Amino acid sequence: MSATLRPYLAAVRKTLEAAFCLTDFNSQVVERHNKPEVEVRGNKELLLNPVVISRNDKERVLIESSINSVRISIAVKQADDIERILVHKFTRFLMMRADKFVILRRKPVSLSDTRSTILDEKTNPQQQPPTGYDISFLVTNIHTEYMNRFKIIDFIIHFMEEIDKEINEMKLAINARARITAEEFLKRF
Amino acid sequence: MANHLPAIVIDNGTGYTKLGYAGNTGPQYIIPSSIAIKETSKVGDQASRRLARGIDDLDFFIGDECIDLNGYSIKYPIRHGIVEDWDLMERFWEQCIFKYLRAEPEDHYFLLTEPPLNTPENREYTAEIMFESFNVPGLYIAVQAVLALVASWSATNGVQSLTGIVVDSGDGVTHVIPVADGYVIGSCIKHIPIAGRDITYFIQSLLREREFNIPPEQSLETAKAIKEKFCYICPDIAKEFDKFDKNPSKCVKKYSGVNHITKQPFDVDVGFERFLGPEIFFNPEIANPDFSTSISDIVDNCIQNCPIDVRRPLYKNIVLSGGSTMFKDFDKRLERDIKRLCNARQKLSTQLSQGNITPSQMNVKVVSHSMQRYAVWFGGSILASTNEFYTTSHTKQKYEEYGPSICRHNPVFGALI
Amino acid sequence: MILLEINNRTIEDILSYKISEVESNTKLELVDVTFADFDGVIFHISNLKDDKYKIRVSIALKFYKDLQEHGADDLLQREYGSLLQLPPEEGYNVTLLFDLKNLPENHQELVKKAGLLKRNCFASVFEKYFEFQEKGLEGNKRAVIHYREDETMYVEAKPDRVTVIFSTVFKDESDVIIGKVFMQEFKEGRKASHTAPHVLFCHKEPPMELQDTDALAGDKIGYITFVLFPRHTSKKSRDNTINLIHIFRDYLHYHIKCSKVYIHSRMRAKTSEFLKILNRARPERQTEKKTITGKTFVPTPYYPEISGTSNK
Repeated sequence: MSATLRPYLAAVRKTLEAAFCLTDFNSQVVERHNKPEVEVRGNKELLLNPVVISRNDKERVLIESSINSVRISIAVKQADDIERILVHKFTRFLMMRADKFVILRRKPVSLSDTRSTILDEKTNPQQQPPTGYDISFLVTNIHTEYMNRFKIIDFIIHFMEEIDKEINEMKLAINARARITAEEFLKRF
Repeated sequence: MANHLPAIVIDNGTGYTKLGYAGNTGPQYIIPSSIAIKETSKVGDQASRRLARGIDDLDFFIGDECIDLNGYSIKYPIRHGIVEDWDLMERFWEQCIFKYLRAEPEDHYFLLTEPPLNTPENREYTAEIMFESFNVPGLYIAVQAVLALVASWSATNGVQSLTGIVVDSGDGVTHVIPVADGYVIGSCIKHIPIAGRDITYFIQSLLREREFNIPPEQSLETAKAIKEKFCYICPDIAKEFDKFDKNPSKCVKKYSGVNHITKQPFDVDVGFERFLGPEIFFNPEIANPDFSTSISDIVDNCIQNCPIDVRRPLYKNIVLSGGSTMFKDFDKRLERDIKRLCNARQKLSTQLSQGNITPSQMNVKVVSHSMQRYAVWFGGSILASTNEFYTTSHTKQKYEEYGPSICRHNPVFGALI
Repeated sequence: MILLEINNRTIEDILSYKISEVESNTKLELVDVTFADFDGVIFHISNLKDDKYKIRVSIALKFYKDLQEHGADDLLQREYGSLLQLPPEEGYNVTLLFDLKNLPENHQELVKKAGLLKRNCFASVFEKYFEFQEKGLEGNKRAVIHYREDETMYVEAKPDRVTVIFSTVFKDESDVIIGKVFMQEFKEGRKASHTAPHVLFCHKEPPMELQDTDALAGDKIGYITFVLFPRHTSKKSRDNTINLIHIFRDYLHYHIKCSKVYIHSRMRAKTSEFLKILNRARPERQTEKKTITGKTFVPTPYYPEISGTSNK
């Protein structure tokens, strides 16, 4: 683990531990409804200040919390074209199977989502990160009630560690394949 | 445009995969749906064990080439008609396309088949593989039973109906699948545990009691050859026994085989098993003590379970599909038996109403045609060579715009009612 | 399967099946099969005038005109001789006719040859330019073969080399990127083998040699140049070179697709691993467990005792 990765993940973990203090909360707008407030963004007083934890200009995590739900969005490192398509392919592959990953959002949070109407007045648009996020999780109080929340945090941290590793390995594997196929073809001349 | 090149039709069955170009009367290849791969003995779960280094993942064989390979293990990615192992299935397709069909998948539309009651997720996975790995320009996933109905159009004098009941009997299992206007009535599907393999076993057991010069290791093979060559369906067993007793010279056939090891020829008399073998469809209790419902009862029952307004059209269009329905006069026997059941029922209802209700005669028709063996593939070939196929298929542009979910639904087409 | 096969299996299968039927005196049936091959080639196997013993194998190539300019007819005449049927079947460019009643002794060889029909059609242009190079002729026009709808092959002979340039289109955005990785490795592949030809590649822009032609430029187009030296074009190694180079485009695209298949299986493996980790967060389900003696019991989960609720 490189020197910057450890404090980065530790910061994410601590923030998540704090953010996962969720409680059941009925909608203030619609009777008998219970909605993740972080998605609805209807009431300013139910939302907490979003936190961005950045390792560098490419890798960062956005944690938006509210009274009954937390949204975690991850921007994965993409150094070149091949990493970009691999990340794109992989995150799309995962999101296709969001049903099985109960806490996975089907779409990553886009920048326009994070800038809600209420927050807009306060936040300076220039402070927003320049690009969007690749994958988002949405954890509600229901999830934290029937699952062990420390284990959920473990999963998110593990995911962040592994996805970089996996993208790297895939990239190497493609390069290796390309080399072998080129050599196989050329050595037959 | 890619449209000038014929579409590719692949019918992945549990046992055999039929593949070929649309527009032909038969598939170009019929290969076992098996794949031989090298598995490293590394510990770990299956998925991580398979991840090979370099391009070792290209080191595999499919179909007939799987047999007699040392150091490979043979896998069957399809179970009960449904794809179980997507990794292997993807590689299976890879070789189907590049080694057998020799096609650049970017140039051809694809028609794939699925069993009834396949899950929509499986369709999404198929679409993901086809569009993302192989860049196919268009894809259509058709239900096998519907294709079997389409295949029967060649024998229905121009009537192109997508309502009918499909009796599909392969090697492992027999299904009875009602289809109304191109949509399978899923809740009414019936399975029969009797199919080609059971007939072979039954013939084998009959021969074992009587014929001693068949080499034991070849008995299954011999039984299969006899089944395919001599078996037929008789109208009445008792009369057929009589016929054989009176005129044995004409009815009893000779099968001659060669012992693989000693190369000695041997002869087998083929007698009653000629009609007794396939008879287990109609009288299953002679081979299987646990199951005694005849196929005609099941078909009749299945139709009676369907919504009332499709029952008459279903009786009118009973379609056979699969190799085990190829026995001579299978259609006549099934038609006669179902007709009897219908007439008895109608008579009863007349009686119960004390003559107030006299239902009109039920029209029962069993459709049999020469393409029965590869009916599903042939139906796919017919559909994939129409212009409508190209407009109905899901295209790559649409896939990229909306995602794999578009392939959850494949609208039916082709019926000229 | 690393290299693609150059022969067409379907042709060989159908012909050898028919021949075996004739040999075992089975009654023949009519045959009528249309199928495709790489590069938009269409084959048609049928009977001549419903004569079950006369089988026609026809091939249609969209770019046959281009090949004809470079002596494809002569080469096919040389390879197939009396098998060629002139004029070919309507709608097709070349037709071979097999008479099953009087097959020569070496019919297996003939079947093999029929399977190579497409390869032999391609061969003419290479042979012609290899010949030019050998004789040291220069100043010949460059051969342009539009071997696919939007992809072209250029062949040019110089006294010391023959250059073959392929243009290829990547339909998918990710293919462009993976394709670039592959082409880069082809360029460097020479290190592995000293006998290999020189390979160059350009992305987006056609190479200098094609500046004056109608060669297309664009994001999704790549150009690969093979520089073949006399050791590749000599009579001895010529066939091998043609076998390899005529299938190059399909080889490249085949392996790009295989890589994507590989990525897919990696992603599946990783996804199931992630799922396993996530499922650790779910509480263990209450299932019946067995003791070693065979008794079953339901393990009771541990709940911390809250004062006042325990029954005493």
